[in-house]
Amino acid sequence: MSDTLGTDTAPGRQSQGTPGAGDAGRSASPAPPRAAGRRRSGRARMRLEIAILSGPAILVFLAFVIFPVVLAAYYGFYRWKGYGDPTDWVGLDNYKLILTDPAFHEVLTHNLLIVVLSLVVQGPLAVGLALLLNQKIRGRSVIRILIFVPYVISEIIVGTGWGLLLQSNGAVNDLLGKLGLESWQHDWLSDPDLALWTLMAIITWKYIGFAVILMLAGLQSIPDELFEAAEIDGASYWQIQRRITLPLLGPTIRIWGFLSIIGSLQLFDLVFIIWGPYIAGTAGTSTMAIYMVAEGRNAANFGYGSAIAVVMFVISMFVALLYQRFVLRRDLQGAVTDGGSR
Amino acid sequence: MMTRKTRSTTLVAVGLGIALAATGCAGGGETDGDGSSGGKVSLTVWENASPGPGEEFWKSAVQEYMAENPKVSIKLQTVQNEDFDGKLQTALNSNSAPDIFLQRGGGKLRAMVEAGQLQELPFTEEDKKNAGAAVAGATVDGKIYTVPLSTQPEGIYYSKELFEKAGIKSTPTTMDELEDAIAKLKKIGVAPIAVGAKDAWPAAHWYYNFALRHCSQDAMSKAAADLKFDDPCWKKAGEDLQKFLRIEPFQKGYLTTPAQQGAGSSAGMLANHKAGMELMGNWNPGVIAGLTPDKKPLPDLGWFPFPAVDGGQGDPSAMMGGSDGYSVAKSAPKEAFEFLQWLSTKEQQEKYAKGFNTIPVNKEAQGVVTDPYNVSALEAFNKAAYTVMFLDTEYGQNVGNAMNTAVVNLMAGKGTPEDIVKNTNAAAAKG
Repeated sequence: MSDTLGTDTAPGRQSQGTPGAGDAGRSASPAPPRAAGRRRSGRARMRLEIAILSGPAILVFLAFVIFPVVLAAYYGFYRWKGYGDPTDWVGLDNYKLILTDPAFHEVLTHNLLIVVLSLVVQGPLAVGLALLLNQKIRGRSVIRILIFVPYVISEIIVGTGWGLLLQSNGAVNDLLGKLGLESWQHDWLSDPDLALWTLMAIITWKYIGFAVILMLAGLQSIPDELFEAAEIDGASYWQIQRRITLPLLGPTIRIWGFLSIIGSLQLFDLVFIIWGPYIAGTAGTSTMAIYMVAEGRNAANFGYGSAIAVVMFVISMFVALLYQRFVLRRDLQGAVTDGGSR
Repeated sequence: MMTRKTRSTTLVAVGLGIALAATGCAGGGETDGDGSSGGKVSLTVWENASPGPGEEFWKSAVQEYMAENPKVSIKLQTVQNEDFDGKLQTALNSNSAPDIFLQRGGGKLRAMVEAGQLQELPFTEEDKKNAGAAVAGATVDGKIYTVPLSTQPEGIYYSKELFEKAGIKSTPTTMDELEDAIAKLKKIGVAPIAVGAKDAWPAAHWYYNFALRHCSQDAMSKAAADLKFDDPCWKKAGEDLQKFLRIEPFQKGYLTTPAQQGAGSSAGMLANHKAGMELMGNWNPGVIAGLTPDKKPLPDLGWFPFPAVDGGQGDPSAMMGGSDGYSVAKSAPKEAFEFLQWLSTKEQQEKYAKGFNTIPVNKEAQGVVTDPYNVSALEAFNKAAYTVMFLDTEYGQNVGNAMNTAVVNLMAGKGTPEDIVKNTNAAAAKG
């Protein structure tokens, strides 16, 4: 909507594109009130429609997202065993304990490491694979499916499967032994120096398919004319990728980065299934969510656990807002600033 | 607490749903008076039996009781063990608690009592006699809140066949003898001891038992009261465990081995003769029976108590253990307690012991215990100077959880005996 018409937007919409029509409308006093009245009832109707259509979703969102967040914030101020109502108000003690707990520093480091490694490893790999799979090669759709399959398999199956394969006496070590590579055999899961890298390998295997599909979709949306034009101008393959594909793939990469960061910060299921909440800390793979389950639910410190949830929420929101503000700004410009009317 | 895990087949139980069919029919035709006079009193029971004889016991006990007491109608609900605590907690907090439910004891019992969610039970002299020594664990501040049904003494389960093959003449009674047995088992190519450290508590039980041998009874009950673990015996126990680890007594990769799920679990290793021993509470034979190739009880399973250590302050006969009991919700009618009283009589206790392959608390019913491993455990239990509940139950989940984690850290070479004491002391601040 155009700003030049100021607050008088309703007649403005009608008269857009006819300079001076707004003034004319304002001077012709008898006509507009009726029209405006009709339009007002139209707006009310639209509002009602919006309310009816989005109401249920908003209610569900309030009841199952916002309300629990508020409750967690409330419980976070109590020392509470989870039986009966919380009564033992401890103020900010829980938060002080969390922020000074070396175990929490450790899990936060793991989370940040996973964020960075996911971006650095999966990003280039996914772009490369997408470029490759965008070529006309034999068996392309089969390869695409194979790469995407791990993403579709449930976390439980992935976790259980890899957990069994990588056990100290599991299939991977057995295979290495049979190949005469005994020196390559390791305690993939239980060696604290290795476990986090094992986890990263599994995460990459699991989620690369999603990134590749996103990138492929991004590539499809780049008009072929650009490539043709560049080719005619004598650009080499690599020049085209560097100067045309990557910049135009930017929005996709940035959105994928956002999803990847949020996913990494909230990583829970794979670690929970492979290591469980008890030894994840020992193996050096525990994340904030695992810490929350171990110290909150398993230790039956529901007040403390709620406080951890709040800390996680704040950290995730902070990172998300920062990312939106500085990285996604260009992509979101239209969507946020003018209601998507473009 | 999490100490009494059931086998993986309980997953199936979720799919099978809740076994109400049999009990539901018995009350057919008559309308529910919901406790009103003249009408029927209806009770709900939540238990955690795995499918099999344990669940059958509950079904038939309920039917029998309803036949004897036509005014009482009992609804039985089997809740999968790992889901049990969360569901119960929600039900208790929303005032929709079952009338009778499985009680884990220790810190949880205390928390429920403090939240005013349980009924104090008016135990008669007869009831006290039936419950025997287990009544101590059912008591909070001098009041009884749980009807105990079985006792779960802990010790080392072993394969007699493998012991024989390895040339171990008699079961170890000292740490030196245990280490000797370990060396012999290694020679025949099996893991000497299986431990499911992935679940933390099975590993921590090694520490508990070292602590039981090193700490005097006083030191242990003092720690229960003030949750301070400053007595030197707590560190000593950690040092002993560390020393024990040097001879590599456990299977390879024990850190990621679960306790009860599948043939690769610690119980599964014992069931398939891949390991010689496992330290566990007396639910273990049932778990093992579900993991043998033919799903039958392991024929050569034996039991011996945790060996004595040098220079320990604890009584060498003392035992670590748990107990299964049932509590009554605050709002339940008086018939709930009457049903539990009936369950702790000799005849029902005998059936319970058979159904769960366990040791009943009622001494008169202990005659039905015939499995060799249970007989050995019962002998040791009746000789024990005192019993201490599993420490993660005794000291509450919060402290227990920290202690378990610290023990696993020690076993992974990431922590020291001092850390166990330090972390355990620190945990008390969080809850």
